[in-house]
Amino acid sequence: MNYLIDIFLISLSAAIINNFIFYYFVGCCPFIGVSRRVDMAFGMGCAVTFVITIAAFLSWGITTMVLMPGAPLSSFIAGFFVSKESAATVDLIALSYIVYIFAIAFSVQFVEMYMRKFFPALYKSFGVFLPLITTNCAILFACLTIMSNVAGVENPADAWDLGRSLVFSFFGGVGFTIAIVIMAGIREELDLCDIPEPFKGAAITLIIGGIISLAFMGFTGVDSGIRNAITPVQEAAMLESVVPVQTAMVEPNLQQKIRGIND
Amino acid sequence: MADQPTASERFIQGILPENPVYRQLLGLCSTLAVTNGMKSAITMACSVAFVLICANVAISMIRDLLKPHLRIVVFTLIIAAFVTIADRVLAAYFYQMSKTLGPYIPLIIVNCIIICRCEVCASKQSVFIAASDALGQSLGFGLALSSIAVIREILGTGSLFGIHILPASWPDWVIMVLPPGAFITLGLLLGFVNWLAMRKSGGKI
Amino acid sequence: MNFIKDTNIGQAWLVILISVVFGMSLSGIQALLGPKIEENKLKETLEKVPVLVLGQKASDALAAKGESLKITSSTVSIDKNGIKKFYSLYRAEFKNGTTAGWVAKTGGQGYADKIELLLGMDAYAKSVTGVFVLEQKETPGLGNKIVEDDWRAQFNNKATETPFNVVKQGKGGVNMIEAISGATISSRSVTKLVNQAISDLKPRVTQMQTSDGKGDK
Repeated sequence: MNYLIDIFLISLSAAIINNFIFYYFVGCCPFIGVSRRVDMAFGMGCAVTFVITIAAFLSWGITTMVLMPGAPLSSFIAGFFVSKESAATVDLIALSYIVYIFAIAFSVQFVEMYMRKFFPALYKSFGVFLPLITTNCAILFACLTIMSNVAGVENPADAWDLGRSLVFSFFGGVGFTIAIVIMAGIREELDLCDIPEPFKGAAITLIIGGIISLAFMGFTGVDSGIRNAITPVQEAAMLESVVPVQTAMVEPNLQQKIRGIND
Repeated sequence: MADQPTASERFIQGILPENPVYRQLLGLCSTLAVTNGMKSAITMACSVAFVLICANVAISMIRDLLKPHLRIVVFTLIIAAFVTIADRVLAAYFYQMSKTLGPYIPLIIVNCIIICRCEVCASKQSVFIAASDALGQSLGFGLALSSIAVIREILGTGSLFGIHILPASWPDWVIMVLPPGAFITLGLLLGFVNWLAMRKSGGKI
Repeated sequence: MNFIKDTNIGQAWLVILISVVFGMSLSGIQALLGPKIEENKLKETLEKVPVLVLGQKASDALAAKGESLKITSSTVSIDKNGIKKFYSLYRAEFKNGTTAGWVAKTGGQGYADKIELLLGMDAYAKSVTGVFVLEQKETPGLGNKIVEDDWRAQFNNKATETPFNVVKQGKGGVNMIEAISGATISSRSVTKLVNQAISDLKPRVTQMQTSDGKGDK
């Protein structure tokens, strides 16, 4: 139950509350240069969502298995060259950025091949924009967030599992789609407006983006509010049982560890 | 080859006429995210300058060895490596700033400015020209970031570089240091720069 | 020789060479700077411990004398109905071995995003000696004010017997924390985190303190 609540709040946060474009600013370039047609924008958003999910899957897998300090696969391979103890401390996290960008390039290639086979008309209408998704900040940002929630947390119990990572990325892509579809719709209307010459194009898009971002700020605190509304019922029940449960569950070698440090 | 710009032309062009943010509209993610304070803006500008200059020089040195269909891969690899170096150095010596900038330093890898410069200049011209192009573009980028950051920080917190400038009676326009302020400031400044460019070139307002 | 050039390796030799060169240099950089970065992370917490446990004046006096507290860290795991929660607990001792106090690192949901804070307690966790906010992403100008000294000082020297409560206006009452006007939820989140940490760690701290026999001053 806790897991589902977590997943729900992560998805809500990624899609709307901390929207990739309106809060984190990633994915701005296609947002500003987006076409004036809603259907093209929607297609772009779907492609980005597709790529971001695959890239997240790859980066979570590689981070957990290969890059993390003490990751299973790299320890196993290092075990052939050095002793078991030093193999367990192998830390490839410095290579993570390079690995992520290649994972993203691979995902984009994969989506390109898939689209060329199953949606040839859409593929043609995308033209040069599809390979350009590789330089979309949103995808790398999703991978970096997953990395900081897997390798950058202090205790391993808080590390994100595959479900949370995929949900975060997928709904981040959904939020991106929502943002550019809104923008495309507004730009369709802008053609009928009398905009001053210097502001036509990117400038007015940015100002409108600012106003939409202001509107999205209204969602701040929704996730913490939902979390607080759902958890107190469990909290009251748990606090009563803290004292008796705690002393029984003391980790047996923790006392020794503490004594060891003090000496 | 004869009509390729010289080193000084590349340098001058990069600062204002081909400013990466205001004229080419590249690297907007970083621009919007780090300009809520002058310190962050300067740090980001320096990091981008480091990566841009190193990547341009490196790619220019190996430009004859690049295969056409693999060049993007090579560019990305080199840029990612230099960004990792910049990120680690920041985390080691400027830890607080590294934490403030957060994921935006690694996002320099997909900053369109660097890939664009490598593609347009470094892969075609000599090391010296590539380096001066990188220098010019970095200066332009720094100028753009500072112009936005000055406005956002003064209006939003009444201070610059953390030092209070405006009198204490100034009610902080908190919105300026939040995302909407970033979008609107950049939009207004972009309109202003466009207006200046139009006046200069067309004489029409 | 020509057929080698046509194979994939022949085409991609530059990519492979660059990968190897940069891979090795990055590992070198990591080996060189990694320890410094770890040290930075640890220092961030450890340098707050004296102020949290002793208060600003006493810790300044200690530093002026050229002395420092010995800090030992441990990880405490609390099990509540099957859900494990981890705390980083730091014990600060004077040179003569008596415990100066404890600092716990805790985190949880704030109004906008996660809040991470350090909670300072005296040797037997009978009173709170200080609260410090490590990380927060609350609304600037409103929820942001939880980092200010004045607001955090409300927690100082308060007994841990009764949990803290947030009131919207006016002080008075045992363990009543006045909320920041316009940022009630941020104030409540911090207070809740403090209460949680105290209730989770107090039995453990008391146990560790009495069993080790290192009494307080």
